[in-house]
Amino acid sequence: MKDKLEALLQQATADLAQAASEDAVQELRVRYLGKKGELTAVMKGIGALSPEERPLIGQVVNTVRDRLEELLAATQAAVRSRSKSLRLQSERLDVTMPGRRRPMGTRHPVTLVTEEIADIFAGLGFQVAEGPEIEIDYYNFEALNFPKDHPARDMQDTFFVDDNVLLRTHTSPVQIRTMLKHAPPVRIIAPGTVYRCDSDATHSPMFHQVEGLMVDKGITFGDLKGILTIFVKQLFGSGIGVRLRPSFFPFTEPSAEVDIACVICKGKGCRVCKNTGWLEILGAGMVDPEVFRHVQYDPESVSGFAFGMGIERIAMLKYGISDMRLLFENDLRFLRQF
Amino acid sequence: MIVTYNWLKEFVDLDLPPSQLADLLTMLGLEVEAVTPCGEGMDDVVVAVVEERAQHPNADKLSLCRVNNGREVLGIVCGAQNFKAGDKVALAQIGATLPGDFKIKRSKIRGEESCGMLCSEKELGLADESAGIMILPPDLPLGIPVFTALGLKDTIFEIGLTPNRADCLSVIGIAREIAAKLGKKIRHPAFTLVDNGAPIADRASVVIEDPQLCPRYTARYIEGCRIAPSPRWLANRLNAVGMRSINNVVDVTNYVLLEYGHPLHAFDFELLAGGRIIVRRAGEGEKFTTLDGQERTLTSSDLTIRDASRGVALAGIMGGENSEIKDTTTNILLESAYFNPTAIRLTSKRLGLHTESSHRFERGADIAILTRALDRAAALIAELAGGTIARGLIDVHPEPVPQRTIAVRLDRVNRMLGIALTTDDVAAIFRNLEFDVVLSGPDVMAVTVPSFRVDLEREIDLVEEVARLYGFENIPVTMPTARVFSDRPPRAQRLEKEVRSLLVAQGFNEVINFSFIAPDVYDRLLFPPDDPRRDAVKLRNPLVAEQSVMRTILLPSLLETTAANISHRELNLRLFEMRRVYHPRPGQELPAEPLHVAAIMTGRREPEGWCQGNEPVDFFDVKGIAEALLAPLRIPSVEYGTETPEPFYHPGKCCTVLVAGRAVGSLGEIHPDVQENFGLSQPVYYLELDFNRLIAHDSQQASIHAPSRYPDVARDIAMLLDDGIPAARVLDCVRGLRLKEIESVAIFDLYKGEHIPAGQKSLAIRVRYRSPERTLTDDEVTRMHQRVIDALVGKLNITVR
Repeated sequence: MKDKLEALLQQATADLAQAASEDAVQELRVRYLGKKGELTAVMKGIGALSPEERPLIGQVVNTVRDRLEELLAATQAAVRSRSKSLRLQSERLDVTMPGRRRPMGTRHPVTLVTEEIADIFAGLGFQVAEGPEIEIDYYNFEALNFPKDHPARDMQDTFFVDDNVLLRTHTSPVQIRTMLKHAPPVRIIAPGTVYRCDSDATHSPMFHQVEGLMVDKGITFGDLKGILTIFVKQLFGSGIGVRLRPSFFPFTEPSAEVDIACVICKGKGCRVCKNTGWLEILGAGMVDPEVFRHVQYDPESVSGFAFGMGIERIAMLKYGISDMRLLFENDLRFLRQF
Repeated sequence: MIVTYNWLKEFVDLDLPPSQLADLLTMLGLEVEAVTPCGEGMDDVVVAVVEERAQHPNADKLSLCRVNNGREVLGIVCGAQNFKAGDKVALAQIGATLPGDFKIKRSKIRGEESCGMLCSEKELGLADESAGIMILPPDLPLGIPVFTALGLKDTIFEIGLTPNRADCLSVIGIAREIAAKLGKKIRHPAFTLVDNGAPIADRASVVIEDPQLCPRYTARYIEGCRIAPSPRWLANRLNAVGMRSINNVVDVTNYVLLEYGHPLHAFDFELLAGGRIIVRRAGEGEKFTTLDGQERTLTSSDLTIRDASRGVALAGIMGGENSEIKDTTTNILLESAYFNPTAIRLTSKRLGLHTESSHRFERGADIAILTRALDRAAALIAELAGGTIARGLIDVHPEPVPQRTIAVRLDRVNRMLGIALTTDDVAAIFRNLEFDVVLSGPDVMAVTVPSFRVDLEREIDLVEEVARLYGFENIPVTMPTARVFSDRPPRAQRLEKEVRSLLVAQGFNEVINFSFIAPDVYDRLLFPPDDPRRDAVKLRNPLVAEQSVMRTILLPSLLETTAANISHRELNLRLFEMRRVYHPRPGQELPAEPLHVAAIMTGRREPEGWCQGNEPVDFFDVKGIAEALLAPLRIPSVEYGTETPEPFYHPGKCCTVLVAGRAVGSLGEIHPDVQENFGLSQPVYYLELDFNRLIAHDSQQASIHAPSRYPDVARDIAMLLDDGIPAARVLDCVRGLRLKEIESVAIFDLYKGEHIPAGQKSLAIRVRYRSPERTLTDDEVTRMHQRVIDALVGKLNITVR
């Protein structure tokens, strides 16, 4: 009887070694351990044994059954893991195929630059102000100290609606409108669309500016240098050289042009900077007392500075765009790159 | 303004190299826009002598020359006829590069070797035209570069002047700025005037009839001049600054114009009737021919210079053809006058006649320089054209204006600039600028500004002068100490940014179109004649007719942008624009400028790709965009009205967008006719909203529920109903039951066609039930679901399928 059991175990071990699938393992389980299985068949002979032999053989039966269970479980696990790894191997993808796309759109470069500038000035405590694009001569020129029939008006070719109404040529009228509405202190920037009748590779009849204005007690030209230096370094990088040089605007005095070291040639001189090593990016100055007079501010008790810059110019420098017209042709092949 | 280094050096000692001088000028506010070396790279053009000139054996018009450059004798073939053996010439040697990148190489011309070229002035860039080669003065030594030998090595500065700096429209003016910055004195031109002719009063007279427009008029008379070409030094100098040489007398007036910045005019005295000058306004409609040969019609606001019978010059702008200097002129009346800037500007603008003279007068000439410029020019004319200067000069100056004196407070200077100068520092700066300074109180200066600084009128103007001369670069960088603000950006600005982000997230590319459009677009959009949006702001002076009216709606620009992109084979487009439109308001001077947001889509729903769907976009894509836009903005009470909102949509595929019952925009498929009118051959879907109206109501506060821990039960209803019943009513009907256990209701299928009776549609909805407190029993759900069905049957007469 004991020999029979050991032969059975041996046979089962050999059979299991051959089992290649989970089904085959299941079949063997039924054959050896099932109700009509071989172990059951052997155990039917226990009744014929002597009472002394019975517990001994019973023990052997239990050992064989435990051993069989163990073998079955181990084989089952091995077979399962083999088949899983076969499946995983057969499911290999060509991961270099492109993914399923739902592309994002893009902001217009003018929007990108405007938002970046607004963010920088928001950090310096400047609020965004707005004004109309179709403007009255008074706000666009007179109140900014451009007298009628003055050569300074030649600096800005104007689109007229009628004798008194025009398309604003700069965002500076927002200065006037803001100061007329609010007592000092004032700290605003005014991004917006402006118009001049001029059209070529570097001029567009419609373009964008950001105006800035800060008025309070004791504001100095040194403060203007401070704010603009911080701004330029945030926009173009802390390593960029900045210089202010004297210029003329009717509504500021002293007036300055602000140059940055040429971003193309790093100041060595190239076609873009006309070999000067510098690029003009904004105009600025201390608010002219004549402007304060128009808005009933007392120039003896407050002072301030204003600045203005062309968004397109900055976008062209930042993105290396050489023809301004590209910005308004709205060619998707251009827009998609932002 | 163009000046040269050598010319500046006549008036101020310069030891700075040209590049540093350019920086110095720029930092003074005289922006140097270009620095061009003259004669650089021309060292291979040398002085040589023609030793022998013989006929070219194979060409009638060429000569074969032997030319000595001081080191060797070269064979040169030359086509010019204006020279002979013994002449000194400009020889471009092999290896030289002439203007226009013309390289001189050894060559064979009709079989004869030529080792260089004899140059004309034109070929050397010294003149626009030249007849024959350049014959050099006989005393020049052989072998040295021609430009060096003639003193033409120079540097040309192009300076972009701001309109306030009339005083710098001259070489002396710019030299004066350099001197002020370097703490030097300028040298005025030295000349000797010999006026030993008959007294001028015997010959000529001047009357100013309009002293407001002409406050001062001075003149000299020169007799017996000989008009001839200018000497080379004069012609070269004018040439270097881009002015054409005409003759000795006209060139002198131009030379003094450039030197002193004061415009002069020379009349042929014999052509001045009565020898008289009268300064008077033109008659209305008077015809006058300026010396450029153009006949011009004048008005009574134009100032003229007249003789006893007629106009002879358009004051301060251009002389008349009838009295200009000709080769036959012998007696000259030389004018040096001052004219009112505004008057000159108005006439010059109206006639479109901008001259060197008008440019200076309209910016403000120096009324005190008149006689000095006049004398300088008279002396030069006498020197170059011979002639005798009549004794004395005419100077009509009815009301001399005293020089301006401006009080300047030291404290004001320092506080405005953020510096700490002393009165002595500031006074020194002023004195360097040739201002007179008198201390008029403790730290207050009375500053008298010279007549050439017409731009200085107020204390602040002098503060700027201090800043300019002290150097912007020397003013310390500080940060303002400002009072604190706490405002967040206003809601509209935040939401505007949000809208852009949402559209970008939905795959839209932002475009910016011009605000002005063609006036005929409203016809192409099928607007009825009385559509208020046809009433647009019109430009009086558009660049082109296609950009002459301010748009009242964004659609036409987007349709054109779409068509342009499709022409580049970009067939799948999602574009948006968020810009103002312009709506005139009756009774108001300025129009309203509401901000609109518009989105356009066409082509495939998904980009092309191996794993992408290829269905085209349809109405529900654009509606989905509207929903995706409005939901995150938490716009309250949004509805989609079913009436046809606009003439430019397909009447069956469009709707109005309503917020709190008010239309804020519309969306739909573009009408096939409009599509065609804009050259589009594929369906286009569009959405345009008035952003200001959209956000007119406060955003809804989000109210957040904790998610239920209990399971949901979903029940579907497939129904047949009348095709005319909008789906929104089905959903409203279910929601209207206000059963708190209904977690959601959604449409998941719509079908019309085969197996569905005509005039009906099949709609399938899924209602999801869930309680926050417990697990719902099957019975409870069935009862609630039956209520839903009953409501639909009762209110909308549906049939459950």
